[in-house]
Amino acid sequence: MMYRFRIAAKKEFLILLNDKTGLALMFIMPILLVYIITIIQDSAFKTANQNSMTLLVANHDNKEAKLFTIVEDSTVKKELISEVLYQEKYLTAIYFPPNFSTQLIQKADRLGGVLLSELGMGDPASLVEKLKIPTVDYYHDPVLQQNYAISIMNMVDAYVQTVEADLLISQMCQRLEIPTAPAKLKQAMESNKIPVQKIAATLNQRSIQPNSTQHNVPAWTIFAMFFMVTSLGNSIVKERLSGAYIRLKTMPTHFSLVLGAKLFVYLVAAILQVTLIFSLAKLTFPSIDLPPLTFPPNMLAFFVVVVLNGLAAVSYATAVGSVARTREQANGFGAVSVVILAALGGIWVPSFILPEFFQTLSYISPLYWCLEGFYTLFLRGGDWQVLAPTLLGLIAFISACMTITYFQLKRDRLI
Amino acid sequence: MDTECIAIQRLTKRYPKADQDTLCGIDLIINQQDKYGILGPNGAGKTTLISILCGILEQSTGEIKYYAPTGGTTVDTISQNIGFVPQEYSFFQELTPMQNLEYFGAMYQLNATQINERSHYILEVLGLGSVKYKKVHTFSGGMKRRVNLAIGIIHEPTILFLDEPTVGVDVQSKVAILKFLNELNKKGTTIIYTSHHLDEAQEFCNRIALIDQGKIIIKGETKALLLEHTTADLKQLFIKFTGEAYRD
Repeated sequence: MMYRFRIAAKKEFLILLNDKTGLALMFIMPILLVYIITIIQDSAFKTANQNSMTLLVANHDNKEAKLFTIVEDSTVKKELISEVLYQEKYLTAIYFPPNFSTQLIQKADRLGGVLLSELGMGDPASLVEKLKIPTVDYYHDPVLQQNYAISIMNMVDAYVQTVEADLLISQMCQRLEIPTAPAKLKQAMESNKIPVQKIAATLNQRSIQPNSTQHNVPAWTIFAMFFMVTSLGNSIVKERLSGAYIRLKTMPTHFSLVLGAKLFVYLVAAILQVTLIFSLAKLTFPSIDLPPLTFPPNMLAFFVVVVLNGLAAVSYATAVGSVARTREQANGFGAVSVVILAALGGIWVPSFILPEFFQTLSYISPLYWCLEGFYTLFLRGGDWQVLAPTLLGLIAFISACMTITYFQLKRDRLI
Repeated sequence: MDTECIAIQRLTKRYPKADQDTLCGIDLIINQQDKYGILGPNGAGKTTLISILCGILEQSTGEIKYYAPTGGTTVDTISQNIGFVPQEYSFFQELTPMQNLEYFGAMYQLNATQINERSHYILEVLGLGSVKYKKVHTFSGGMKRRVNLAIGIIHEPTILFLDEPTVGVDVQSKVAILKFLNELNKKGTTIIYTSHHLDEAQEFCNRIALIDQGKIIIKGETKALLLEHTTADLKQLFIKFTGEAYRD
């Protein structure tokens, strides 16, 4: 029995070695994807967080009352800002209109006046009835992502508010005929901001920051594992069409041994994919300025997740290969279905940012469960208990695929 | 006296969703060491009959009894004694003949030594000794046919089923295949064979059964049938019983 299994596995291995396209799709494609997508996403991340973003400041504020000190400001006319933005490759621009500071001072003065008169300390008649609210115009390249644009607007808004608060104190002091604003009050106002701390909600004490590496390395490895549908599915269809399975039916060996050997070899290939891609990421990412890959502390759980992910991919490919009637069907349906399941499963973008309907739909994607397994270990630091629903989901998927394969092979009178 | 090898009684086969039987009450006795030709026009039911005899398909009704040296009487119990050479190249063209024989030999439950010895011998006899380590996809049609045959006999079966074993091969390969089959038969292998090459069948088979529309029209010893029906060869006999109309 073991000898037959070993020979059957050897045959599968030799045929896989011959399938150069299949091997390239299984090993070279995911390595390229992991590197390219991680570099792109990391670069985008750095653009918003670490790299300086080009900002044109068109400052037409009156010189006398200028409240903002802007280094290297410009006096580009408002009508020309869009053109300059396009021609000179600025990503964003801020336009301060003439008399901006004067209007801001007037606004603070009026607010101070209202405040004092409400407290019975001033004359409401002295307040200006109508006041023009100063505006700052913010321009951005249309290709700039919305969240980056909003971040910059928030920064400008926060800075203007700080200046306004400072002005309010000064104007109120003036109305109360206090020559200079009390330093303690100014300090208290400035230190009054409540800091918001950013904490990754991991389930253990380790603080692993989610980054492009922690998402892309597992995600594209899973994609590659499932993409073996083109190689394994194709191999099953080809052998069935050649009559080799029919011939095997006349032999004193059960077809489950033949199929088992095939699944075993492709499972080993899937584990090799993980080993290769994760090792490359671990060893080379820091040297090319990408975030390092941090392995989870529970390596046994990691191995179990890898094996179940591999089995899910292999059983899916087997089910596709069993159901497909031609090699074209196996290749076409196999590849397209994996791309769709990858999109649903959060391989391209994490599923939590998908619309709610798609988030529900993502549960049907085996790639979602595979990725959840890695997320639980790599980012959330989950233990076996947290991992259990994901593992059960994967086992359910594997069982479903095996059942489809069994009934299809029975229908084809191969078992 | 002839010893029975396979006894077929009232065998019928109807495929799912078909509106008529493909085989309609076949009765046939195949004796040990026969070279039995199952002949007939396209769609007569030859391949269906062979597929049932090999255990690939199940009959709808009827009984088949095998008399194998190992004692089994059903196809499942004697599968070790059965060899099957299908019409298609049913092996792995990415592998070499040796690798194919190693795989199928193991599936026939042979051990490594048996596989190694028999593979070298069979490939040598079939004229494939010099290419046994080359990948089969580089071979000609005739060479692939011989690999197909080698796989079917690696386990030295006592009953060998051949479905069109010489289709699409050159004269040299055909002669080599038939010569080898005759030698196997002399050593005790019962051969059940289908072919469209009637002159080849006439030369090779000691008995034939002519099937048309799922029924056996005539059966018996080849020479005796030709004498009985005063026909010069199998071609005339074939046309006499099946007519000249096209078959789809």
